[in-house]
Amino acid sequence: MALSKFAVATAAALMATGAWAECAFENPVPVKALTAGFAAWKVVTASMAECGNFEAELDQDFRLKQPAAFEANPSLYHIGGVSNSPFVPLYDQGTIRPLDDLVEKFGQDISPIQLIKLDGNVWAIAMMVNAQHLMYRSDILDELGIDVPATYEEVLDAAAKIKAAGVVEYPMGGTYKSGWNLGMEFINLYLGMGGEFFGESFAPAVNNDTGIATLETMKRITEYLDPEYLVSDSTYVQQQFQQGKIALANLWQSRAAAMDNPQESQVVGKVGMASAPMGSVRPSSTLWWDGIVIAKNITDEEAEAAFQVALEGMDSETITANNDTAVWLVDGFVPGAAAQGAIATAENGAAPFPASKAMGLMHTALGNIVSDYLTGATSAEEALAKVEAAYTTSAKDAGLL
Amino acid sequence: MRLPIGLRIGSSAFLAAWCFIAAFPIFWIAVMSFKEPVDSFASNPLHVVFGPSTLESGKGLSILDIVVGIAALYAIFKFSTSRLPALVDRYSPFGLRVAGWAVAAAAVGLISVVALFGVLPPVLSAVEGVLGPLGRPVIGLTAEHYEAVWVKHEFYRNFLNSIYVTSGVVVVSLTVGTLAGYGLARSGSNLAFWILVVALVFRALPHSVLVAGYLPFFIGSAEILEPLLGESAPTLYGQPLAVIAVLVSINQPFTIWMLRSFFQNIPAELDEAARVDGCTHFQAFRWVIMPVMWPGVITTGLFSFLLAYNDFLVTSLLLDASNQTMVPAIAGFFNRETTTTDQVEAVAAAVSITAPLFLLVMVFQRQIVSGLTAGAVKG
Amino acid sequence: MKFRTFAAFVGPSVALMILFIAMPLASVFVQSFQVTRVIYEEIEVESCTPGFVAQTCVTETRLQPVVDDQGDMVVETEFVGFGSYINVLEPDRLAEALGEASWSRLMGIDFWKALRFTLTFTLVTLPLVLGTGLAIALAVNSVARSIRGQVIFVSLLPFIITPVIGALSIRWLFIGDGILTALLEWALDRDIAMFAQAWTIELMMLIYRVWHVAPFAFVVFYAGLQTVNSDTLESAVVDGASRFERLRYVIVPHLMPLIVFVALIHLMDAYRVFEEIVGFSSQAHVISLQWLTYDLLTPDQSGSRSISRASASAMLTMVGIVILLVPLLRKTWRDHRLGRI
Repeated sequence: MALSKFAVATAAALMATGAWAECAFENPVPVKALTAGFAAWKVVTASMAECGNFEAELDQDFRLKQPAAFEANPSLYHIGGVSNSPFVPLYDQGTIRPLDDLVEKFGQDISPIQLIKLDGNVWAIAMMVNAQHLMYRSDILDELGIDVPATYEEVLDAAAKIKAAGVVEYPMGGTYKSGWNLGMEFINLYLGMGGEFFGESFAPAVNNDTGIATLETMKRITEYLDPEYLVSDSTYVQQQFQQGKIALANLWQSRAAAMDNPQESQVVGKVGMASAPMGSVRPSSTLWWDGIVIAKNITDEEAEAAFQVALEGMDSETITANNDTAVWLVDGFVPGAAAQGAIATAENGAAPFPASKAMGLMHTALGNIVSDYLTGATSAEEALAKVEAAYTTSAKDAGLL
Repeated sequence: MRLPIGLRIGSSAFLAAWCFIAAFPIFWIAVMSFKEPVDSFASNPLHVVFGPSTLESGKGLSILDIVVGIAALYAIFKFSTSRLPALVDRYSPFGLRVAGWAVAAAAVGLISVVALFGVLPPVLSAVEGVLGPLGRPVIGLTAEHYEAVWVKHEFYRNFLNSIYVTSGVVVVSLTVGTLAGYGLARSGSNLAFWILVVALVFRALPHSVLVAGYLPFFIGSAEILEPLLGESAPTLYGQPLAVIAVLVSINQPFTIWMLRSFFQNIPAELDEAARVDGCTHFQAFRWVIMPVMWPGVITTGLFSFLLAYNDFLVTSLLLDASNQTMVPAIAGFFNRETTTTDQVEAVAAAVSITAPLFLLVMVFQRQIVSGLTAGAVKG
Repeated sequence: MKFRTFAAFVGPSVALMILFIAMPLASVFVQSFQVTRVIYEEIEVESCTPGFVAQTCVTETRLQPVVDDQGDMVVETEFVGFGSYINVLEPDRLAEALGEASWSRLMGIDFWKALRFTLTFTLVTLPLVLGTGLAIALAVNSVARSIRGQVIFVSLLPFIITPVIGALSIRWLFIGDGILTALLEWALDRDIAMFAQAWTIELMMLIYRVWHVAPFAFVVFYAGLQTVNSDTLESAVVDGASRFERLRYVIVPHLMPLIVFVALIHLMDAYRVFEEIVGFSSQAHVISLQWLTYDLLTPDQSGSRSISRASASAMLTMVGIVILLVPLLRKTWRDHRLGRI
């Protein structure tokens, strides 16, 4: 919200002096957007604001607010910033519009790789991909003579050595905040070991050996984390890295550029990027895309304006000016050092996040219940049984089972 | 009655400890908000207080700044406590002293901000150039986060929204509440009793229950109300007026209980006498009872103010970005905090939101105590 | 007072309460007995998402909502009786836990876990708030008048500060190596993580709540102390009552209605404890009843809200508070019958 407002003000000031900012399109109707709040979205929404008449709300809880806001008629926002899983409820409830005609009319510069298609139609335009991957303090690993770990066993070995050497406060960081983050960590490891979440007709199937192995690995990892891991989200882990408190973490690529930000970071140039640790089948990570959707409950005129504004926000100029902020899908992106970890993860065969309604319910159940096992309140089998029970209750309520 | 010395020392020590505990967290976030991110979140408290890395980047206060700053603050304090009351008395129109105080407090606040942040810094930095060691910064301190919050992020918009919602809630709540409180105090009927009991149960309800009930209706109101109101049916979501109505309703149970007990302390003979003189119930209420009710109304109004100003659940769910009040806007800062700088800006916003509450308590502190003493709460 | 006059005075207030409190409550009551579901069908679709170099397109089985002619999702509403209440209370697992007499199993059930914390929180903070408030009031009442204003001002700060901000400011003091944690570590010479286990988080929440509410108790009691009859006190001195006896037999009885008032307000507010859970992000360790309702109402990762279970949990919460209020309501009823109200 705020950054873009500032940009609006700047743009207005520039307009007064006759010098239009980079935006090639002068936006005639008011357009509002609700997106996530990490660095790439700040860049893109600020650039959208240069077209005028634009207001963006950046909120890390966007996924909770979007479904209701887009269901209103008229919709409360025109543009939604989404990724794999927040896209699903919007698509399911039919509150976003197919973009094929808009793409045809205005999308000359969109590269085909950006089109998110479902059932033959384009529903979203992706701007970047994101993945969790290993970040490590290259200076510490060099000093202790440790190779960059490739599997979680090696990660744990490295963590043990770092702990023994006592060079940092905690050897590892992890986004283990209960809820979405913790559920995500389970999913990463479980998929890495080749686990399947559902059996026949979406019955839950996590209470198995792979599930137990996943939980046990998580518990072993937590021994090397800051004991307050159940409140540590991406921002917290990023800060721990920046303040030199941790040496290893499986963290989002979108946070990589912050490690080299001299205003905040005390470890500029010391953080290396590598593939997410390999599980027995594939890397313990999932591939995500971030992009925009356009609301259905708005006029066609507004939709056209919103679409053009959105494209202006993610044009090559913006992307090249902020090359290292994300792994952009837009033409003109040159993968730098910050992108190497994500690229390696993808090359090693990480799967796209399996977003679906059922997965959303499973993710919620995992995020709420895995902590019971980590705090020692229940055994691994009990925790997984409780996850399945919670999933079943909510899936029945939702009409899935 | 004088206390024995031991007890006096004990009680003073207890009080000093309490005052420290009461003020420390607020003081500490205020200190944090003036530092660069590296200092704000340093684990060494001395770094947070003196801000070495803030100092390194050339932002700090010299001894001269500190001396002049303290002198200016003291002058403002002296003026507000000694000269201001007389000025307010002289210039406020009769019966509107409260409004007079509000204007005076706002004016003093504004002038202080302009003087401390607008006028003094350039003057002082000019003087420092020629002073040598006295002019060198010794404590790291920067107001850049406040500037970012208020100027770049346009926090003043949220401030204006807060003022609009808060004053709306206080005015409507007191108008509706005094009427109901008077009616309930003067009627001994069973109906009055049951209204009070039900209100008590309502007072105890968890708000999330109610608020969740509003959301679908507020978002879909344009469609739902269309058969009734036709084309002009509004979307209530994001309307400050709708939020005012909700906050007033949620606060009604407390308001009517409190005002009712104030009215009960005013002898019924007073309005009976007025009625004998030919007044209607309403005239008696307006011209005889209200003039002696001000302490009670001000105290109740303060509680309404706090509720509306501090509310998070209702405002965050029912207002959108363009007309959000300050508290949800700050929560928004935290939700988009993806960098450490964002966090310190959020802290600065949090401190900003506390400042008006400071002024409020300073001005109305006597009224709170005397209002409660006057007998709001006899059970 | 004639009924019409009474209605005119009370009308606006009652109308507001009916519209914004009673009606939502009624709808919550109805919803707790029914479940509204979306109808899904399984279909085969091809979906394409971006990889790094090329698109990944897969054909998958997808559950898709059935839509009607207007493009709206088809939903069905089913009456489930006490089904949602059973889902919240989980009587099977309760019986199992009670059968094994296993406390940890009992605490594995969300509702009972939340109830345990909510009751502990309410009952532990109550005496602390009353005691601290009274102590501060007595202490303030005995300091010199010249500084009394400033002391009252500072004492009121924790009460007026926005609760969310207050909770966050306490959290910053403790989280990670916040300065107070650092101080504790230095004093006890060991590594401390305040947010790593349930009991420390609970302790912080209790401290925060007492810090936040004690000033309210203080200012009410202080106002009450101003009206203590000095003749009674003096005659007590003449009768040779000690300081403690004067407190016990003169001051406290005088303040009794106020103590009941503060206790009542605190009981209601503490029972719906919520801000602390959010402010301290304690949901992995400790949850409260209102938080449980809120959590069920928040859309989950798939965008659906468990409205029915949330309504059931809300109704159960309400039953709890009514039970807590019963003694008070009975007293009020007796007073009313005697014509004292």
